Amino acid sequence: MITILGKTIINFIKNISGVIKLLVDILYWLIIGPFKGKAAQRQGIFNQMIFTGLRSMPIVFFVTIFTGVVLAMQSAYQLQKMGAVLYVASLVAVSLCRELGPVLTALVVAGRVGSAFAAELGTMKVSEQIEALETMAINPVRFLAVPRFIALFFMLPCLTILGNLSGMVGGYLVGVYSLNINPDLYIQTTFKYLEIKDIYTGITKSFVFAVIIALIGCFEGLNTKGGAEGVGRATTRSVVISFILIILADCIITSIFYFSKL
Amino acid sequence: MNITEEKKDGITICNISGEININTSPQLRKSFESFVEANTAKIVVDFSQVSYIDSSGLATFIELLQRLKKVGGTFRICSMSQKVKNIFEVTKLHKLFEIFDSREAALNNFL
Amino acid sequence: MIKKDSKDEPIISLKNVSKYFHGNKIIDNVSFDILHGETFVIMGCSGSGKSTLLRLMTGILKPEEGSIFVKGKDISKIRGEELDEVRKTFGMLFQYSALLDSLTVEDNVSLPLKEHTRLAQEIIDIIIKMKLSLVGLRGYEKHYPSQISGGMRKRVGLARAIALDPNIVFYDEPTSGLDPVVGGVIDKLIKELSEKLLITSVVITHDMQSVFNIADRVAMVHKGRIIDVTTPDELRSSQNPYIQQFINGRPLGPIDFFKEDIGIGEIFGL
Repeated sequence: MITILGKTIINFIKNISGVIKLLVDILYWLIIGPFKGKAAQRQGIFNQMIFTGLRSMPIVFFVTIFTGVVLAMQSAYQLQKMGAVLYVASLVAVSLCRELGPVLTALVVAGRVGSAFAAELGTMKVSEQIEALETMAINPVRFLAVPRFIALFFMLPCLTILGNLSGMVGGYLVGVYSLNINPDLYIQTTFKYLEIKDIYTGITKSFVFAVIIALIGCFEGLNTKGGAEGVGRATTRSVVISFILIILADCIITSIFYFSKL
Repeated sequence: MNITEEKKDGITICNISGEININTSPQLRKSFESFVEANTAKIVVDFSQVSYIDSSGLATFIELLQRLKKVGGTFRICSMSQKVKNIFEVTKLHKLFEIFDSREAALNNFL
Repeated sequence: MIKKDSKDEPIISLKNVSKYFHGNKIIDNVSFDILHGETFVIMGCSGSGKSTLLRLMTGILKPEEGSIFVKGKDISKIRGEELDEVRKTFGMLFQYSALLDSLTVEDNVSLPLKEHTRLAQEIIDIIIKMKLSLVGLRGYEKHYPSQISGGMRKRVGLARAIALDPNIVFYDEPTSGLDPVVGGVIDKLIKELSEKLLITSVVITHDMQSVFNIADRVAMVHKGRIIDVTTPDELRSSQNPYIQQFINGRPLGPIDFFKEDIGIGEIFGL
């Protein structure tokens, strides 16, 4: 029992140091690489941006718009008792931009993109493709992880903005067509209580989430062992670990903002 | 690698010495570019001082051949060492180029 | 690049190399030299450690003891850019080709050229065509690895391995999983490359046909040890019981695949 516990702890520490090493490697190639004439391929970054950004738009859109609808109905149910139905608009806007937009988008992207990173790199690892890159003197981190990292780092905040907007559209639909709030008034109330800091706290979070998803996905992929089963395990692990870390990071960042009165 | 050129009866003779490899072939390509632009339709390359040629060098010659074909030019290689000849043979490129044993033979056959 | 070094000078030299995996000695005090321009075959059963030997020579694995000199540099001690500089001068053909699935045939072959040279795109395109026609593959440039057969993938892998005109090429089971005809074609390519371009070839195989076709010298590996280094002709007449068993494919002999001393009863705990 104690040996199992000990092994788990050792593995845990190994993984953490592995993830940190990967982050240092990525930053090295990101910052030092271009000066050595070894910048990441533009084509690779572009392809990854299409995959992580453009192709994630439908799922982000649907998830957040329905969340907006649910959020509006749920808050209307409470606010009706106080005769403050109008404030549905600002409640939806603020809670989406500060919290639900970034977190939901990150979770969706972790499931779609992070798992794909792990599966793709994992398959490359078990089929000797990573080793082939190394023997060709091509650094796998620079060639595979850096483009994915850059693409996700810029695309996740964009997707978060899309998520915020489509969530507000969901709230608007409920507010105007079900709660019979005047459309102009709804839009007015939305922006009256939405401050610029609500938006940037949300975007700040999404940058952190992007780092988490890309790092965990690439780490699990590059450290895959043991054939097809290993690839499956890496994929699952990448999603589970990203989910936990995203919620944990959200909790930490929110409390920083809360206690520092930002 | 060194390139020197001389003109003789409207034929450009190009003497190359040293190794034609990944580092030197871009220089070779550049000097060929000026030949094609100058409409030098007849080119003979003397290989007697070439110690080695790699794929990028071969590719540079193939490109030159393609370009000269468009403008109706002729391109000949002469005086290859056996070692360099082997490289042409294993890539089956000796069938593509007009290869002569000596410089005189290469120059004589021009019409 | 072909150097004028004497043929007798070793290009790869292993000195007292040992490698452990999880406490087990996989490579046991191995020493041998590979000479300039020769085709050196390492043969042995599955699990004998021959693939590990190859990975030690390419610097993917590091030995616990001993040193491995490739072109004068101890590949077991260097890392990073210094290691990459050595790696640029050798190519490797992988057992399952290890082509990048996300790239087309031509992009796979051009990858090392694009990464390591500043050649113009037109020149790279011509080099790709040359390399692909050298391995007898035309008209498949735009195909993805998943769309072509195993034999074709091997040939694309070979084209990629020789893209940068290496002077050493490592082959990991080049003929395994291929039909005899395609296997023969690959053998002929290996022989041609090493004879005409003076490429040093290091081949790992257990295909005896291939050993007799291509080898200049053969090393027999068993349980992480070199049993013998010899020529193919001497191989046939060798009195060594390990070699005799291996080349004739006998199930019984000193290579104890079936452990005679473990009775059937022991397996079932009776």
